[in-house]
Amino acid sequence: MKGFFQKEGTVKLLSSLLSILTGLVVGGILVLIVGIFSKNISLSGAWEGVRLIFAGILSTGRDAAGALTWGFNPANVGNMLFRATPLIMTGLSVAVAFKTGLFNIGAPGQYLMGTLGSLMVALSIPAGTLPRGLIWLLAFLCGCLAGALWGAIPGLVKALLNINEVLACIMTNWIAANLVTWAFDVSNLKNVVENTKTGYIYKSSYGLVNGQYVADQGVSTAKLGLDRLFPGSQVNAGILIAVLAAVAVYILMNKTTLGYELKACGANRHAARYAGIRDKRNIVLSMAIAGVLSAAGASLYYLSGNTEFFWTTYQSLPGEGFNGIPVALLAMNNPIGVVFAGIFMAMLNIVGLQLTKLTAYNEFITDVIIAVIVYLSAFSLVIRMLLTRRRHREAPPAQAQAKPPEGAENAKGGDET
Amino acid sequence: MENASEYVIEMLHITKEFPGIKANDDITLQLKKGEIHALLGENGAGKSTLMSVLFGLYQPEQGEIRKNGQVVRINDPNDATALGIGMVHQHFQLIDVFTVLDNIVLGAETTRMGFLQKKEARRKVEELSRRYGLAVDLDARVEDITVGMQQRVEILKMLYRDNEILIFDEPTAVLTPQEINELMNTMREFAGEGKSILFITHKLNEIMAVADRVSVLRKGRYIGTVNTADTDKRQLSNMMVGRDVQLEVVKTPASPGEEVLRLEHFSVPSHLHKRNAVNDVSFSVRAGEIVCISGIDGNGQTELVHGITGLDRPNGGTVTLCGENITHDSIRRRGKNMSHIPEDRHKHGLVLDFTLEQNMVLQRYLDPEFQRAGFIRQDAVRSYAERLIEQYDVRSGQGPVTVARSMSGGNQQKAIIAREVDRDKPLIIAVQPTRGLDVGAIEYIHAQLVSERDRGKAVLLVSLELEEVMSLSDRILVMYEGELVGELDPRQTNVQELGLYMAGAKRNIGEGGSAT
Amino acid sequence: MTFLIQQLLLYAVPLMIVALAGVFAERSGIINLALEGIMIFGAFVGVLFVRAMAETEVFSAAKSAGNYLTLQGLEVLAMLLSAAMGALFSLLLSFASINLRADQTIGGTALNLMAPALVLFLVRILANQNTLFSVDAASWFMIKKTTLGYDRKADLGFLGNTFVDKSYIATYICIVLFIVLSVILYKTRFGLRLRSCGENPQAADSLGINVYRMRYAGTTISGALAGMGGFVYALTTANCTANGDVAGFGFLALAVMIFGNWKPLNIALASLLFGLFKCIAATYTSIDINGDGHFWLVDIGVSPHLYRMLPYLITLLVLAFTSKKSRAPKAEGIPYDKGSR
Repeated sequence: MKGFFQKEGTVKLLSSLLSILTGLVVGGILVLIVGIFSKNISLSGAWEGVRLIFAGILSTGRDAAGALTWGFNPANVGNMLFRATPLIMTGLSVAVAFKTGLFNIGAPGQYLMGTLGSLMVALSIPAGTLPRGLIWLLAFLCGCLAGALWGAIPGLVKALLNINEVLACIMTNWIAANLVTWAFDVSNLKNVVENTKTGYIYKSSYGLVNGQYVADQGVSTAKLGLDRLFPGSQVNAGILIAVLAAVAVYILMNKTTLGYELKACGANRHAARYAGIRDKRNIVLSMAIAGVLSAAGASLYYLSGNTEFFWTTYQSLPGEGFNGIPVALLAMNNPIGVVFAGIFMAMLNIVGLQLTKLTAYNEFITDVIIAVIVYLSAFSLVIRMLLTRRRHREAPPAQAQAKPPEGAENAKGGDET
Repeated sequence: MENASEYVIEMLHITKEFPGIKANDDITLQLKKGEIHALLGENGAGKSTLMSVLFGLYQPEQGEIRKNGQVVRINDPNDATALGIGMVHQHFQLIDVFTVLDNIVLGAETTRMGFLQKKEARRKVEELSRRYGLAVDLDARVEDITVGMQQRVEILKMLYRDNEILIFDEPTAVLTPQEINELMNTMREFAGEGKSILFITHKLNEIMAVADRVSVLRKGRYIGTVNTADTDKRQLSNMMVGRDVQLEVVKTPASPGEEVLRLEHFSVPSHLHKRNAVNDVSFSVRAGEIVCISGIDGNGQTELVHGITGLDRPNGGTVTLCGENITHDSIRRRGKNMSHIPEDRHKHGLVLDFTLEQNMVLQRYLDPEFQRAGFIRQDAVRSYAERLIEQYDVRSGQGPVTVARSMSGGNQQKAIIAREVDRDKPLIIAVQPTRGLDVGAIEYIHAQLVSERDRGKAVLLVSLELEEVMSLSDRILVMYEGELVGELDPRQTNVQELGLYMAGAKRNIGEGGSAT
Repeated sequence: MTFLIQQLLLYAVPLMIVALAGVFAERSGIINLALEGIMIFGAFVGVLFVRAMAETEVFSAAKSAGNYLTLQGLEVLAMLLSAAMGALFSLLLSFASINLRADQTIGGTALNLMAPALVLFLVRILANQNTLFSVDAASWFMIKKTTLGYDRKADLGFLGNTFVDKSYIATYICIVLFIVLSVILYKTRFGLRLRSCGENPQAADSLGINVYRMRYAGTTISGALAGMGGFVYALTTANCTANGDVAGFGFLALAVMIFGNWKPLNIALASLLFGLFKCIAATYTSIDINGDGHFWLVDIGVSPHLYRMLPYLITLLVLAFTSKKSRAPKAEGIPYDKGSR
């Protein structure tokens, strides 16, 4: 048991769990406070909100008497897995960049470009000209390509001009948001068949038949029987692809010479250069890989066949992109950990929907929880030190506590913008 | 009962512990009024910790500090300043983008309603600067002035605060022998006026030249205090290291063979200014000799090495290595025939967050020995690292899987040397290979370099330590302001002459001329 | 022309003040990536205050009584409140990055995620919709000819028409504040010490300057300015609605700060430039440059999408061309630890 607790991985896991717990507790407290002060929400309503935050995934609605009911809800779990797919992919995207010493806050832009690339291809190839599977694959690959190009831009300006990648990413995000809106605006992919909704692009399951878009003639991701396992949900094989991607990233980063190079650049760019590693190429490459992963997440989400894209997005960026950051942070950039962190984030997502559906609260509380988790991740190092000290019970003198692990932060240095 | 004590500052029985080590163990240091007192010890002997205690940066677990016999408590640098204690730090504590005047007044500003009043300050600094002959340009930015002037700024900072107790931490490392003499004269002048001086160093010559008394520390312990008049260098070095030290490097005369490295009219641009950092330099290094580039820090040595190794792009001239023109080759291709022990082991030498074994293959992970089809052969890396650790006696907590960051400085440097020497290339470039290490590690590294020379390697050494230059090299090239100004034979020159070349006062190589 | 200058000021001034917010944090050594989040939070608090005043009929009372001073006073009060709450919010960043030596980029990102989430959550609960306001509250605060006792059709001359009519007192307060704070940064003991902490905290510490306190001061001032800037932005350009959306304005301010090389005068000029593009993007349909009744920017037939994209595109290009010369405070982003000297 002692050996187990001394493992570094265990400490990381514990500190992540602690972040999650704290985030949930903060969310619960916020719900309580709002409940107490709001005229519209009763105290029992507030208590329901708290319970949903912690166990919303197990909620099955309300019974005839209006009380919350609990149990295994296959639709919830299936939808959780479906929503986890893009989160795992963007989480991997952020994690790969992190390992190369880059903060990829550009995942939302890459995600949008992936959406653009995949939907454009999927909806533009007339149904029947190619096998559906091939169209799906082409669309997926084009999405990835668009993401790679978009990710490479901040990489290039960082490598060649030494511009802070965070700022470059933010700018490319907003450029992407406008570009995507523009492209769809001039396209004929706006959904005019289903008149009930405006502002959406056709689902990928629509196919072009004689110049008309017809339902169920397009492409959609294979279900592989998962829909029977979780009836009533949107789940499909995308989640399996995401898990495979995580394994692939794990192998890339830990077993290959390319991974060695990327990590060397991330840990010490100067030493990597000294050793003859082409640091600039690796920065661009890392961001391009990150772009592919984010875009693949978008492709998997929008090629599912039952999701539709709101195209006037120029004023907002997709949350799936930003939420890649907390996923990667929670997973401590471990690709396998990203799978679990992604599923957890998707669970919060479902919890948010349950809150909106069943109570006077809304889904934004889960974003607050996520923000708290990111905040705690920022000083996970300190949390880990606290955990370690608890176990050993050898409290060093007060002065020494202020010492970081040998200037861990200093070695990274500031970003020369 | 004023001046009950003959000592202005006493640090009595100071003990300061960090987790795992006692940095100071029952140390006593007593400073008399008007004396120059040397504090001698190797790197890691506890000198810096002791000074941090004196400045209130650390609180000791045991012991007390007295000023003029009265016990005082020092909680932060402000308390130390209030007691009249000032210090010239080894790494200057200056703000590069501020002017000299702003640097001097910072922390002791004269203000009216919060607004800075610089006129008065300027008058006071100008007067001090005249009185002690400490010439500085008050309106220049610190980043634009020479290292020597920066040190004068540091001294003026102490004088501006009317400090009576002046501490100099390794002040001579960055100076020419002539500047060192000037500094010592200034120190004597201060002592003559009744100021008390604590002079921290590990250089025995300087202690013998200027100090009245010496206190010696070793591995966190107090060894003793002696009058300089009653001792000699041999006794002091014995006290410092705890055993007899081989002060001289044992080596046979060199027998140079074929030319390995040749530079012709080589120039490298500067990152800091518009002129070239290395300007029109020509020389060559042959197999079986140690050629040393000597000079004051910042005269282009770093850029010269970066230009040769490919870390910086040259803007003129050629580099020929083993008969091939490598002027525009990539860093990796140059590495085919040279190994490089870099100046900054934390910046360039190691990936501190990698394990020791990962660091050992930093240049070689692409060799067929260590990878197959892009996948790293973990077992081959492991056994290779184990061999190097064994062969070069690199000590670490967990062997090959130790994270480099957790190793001691000496063993980090040994790991780099093991890696570079084992690559077995015709040229070894070693830049300040012994900086910051203790005597044992220095002896080891010197012996390694000499034995590589004897195996027929060409060694290009860059060093700021004059003693190292004199004892290790077969040929000395002196760099001044980016140019080679002198070629000297260590057996036929002395430190004073070398100093004149380093200060640019003498040159025996014409402009654009070459040393062979 | 008058319209263009007025609009330009409305965009440039918040940009300027938020960029200065960035300067105070970074010159003390803390990268404040959270400017965007703090703006959102500040805007929310200010607008919430205005809404509370509106609900208690304070405005309509003052307006019907012709008591314009009260209205202006309330505007200043709202600014102060959003500044105070912005400062408070920024303490989360200071605590994480100063006391806990956390990664400042991640800490800032957390605040950027937290602010819109919190604001949207509360707005939904308070207003049961996505925005806090649906009435044009900004018109209460706008200084018009009638406010000053002139006739509605009176001509105040070019200067009067441009800088007095349809202006906000907030704009001028921000400009004055900008000048005062710039002087403080360069001419006072506090400013000198603050800047030293961003360049070489070890040196500052060795001279008895409390680096932690200075960095707290820098970040807190930064938070106050960003919070105020957020409210001013919401008031003057978004008709006093706060729905948690400033669309990257805080990041534009960071770019302005870098482009301005962390120096106030350059920043003032840079924010005019960036403000112009932001202003074109927002109002190109009604910009009549030479006053001949033609809306030239519309007439040339460029897609509106391009105008909207322009501020971000220009920012990226400008950064690309100026980054080589820019010089950040040397110690920014590096946590300071007394022990590791």
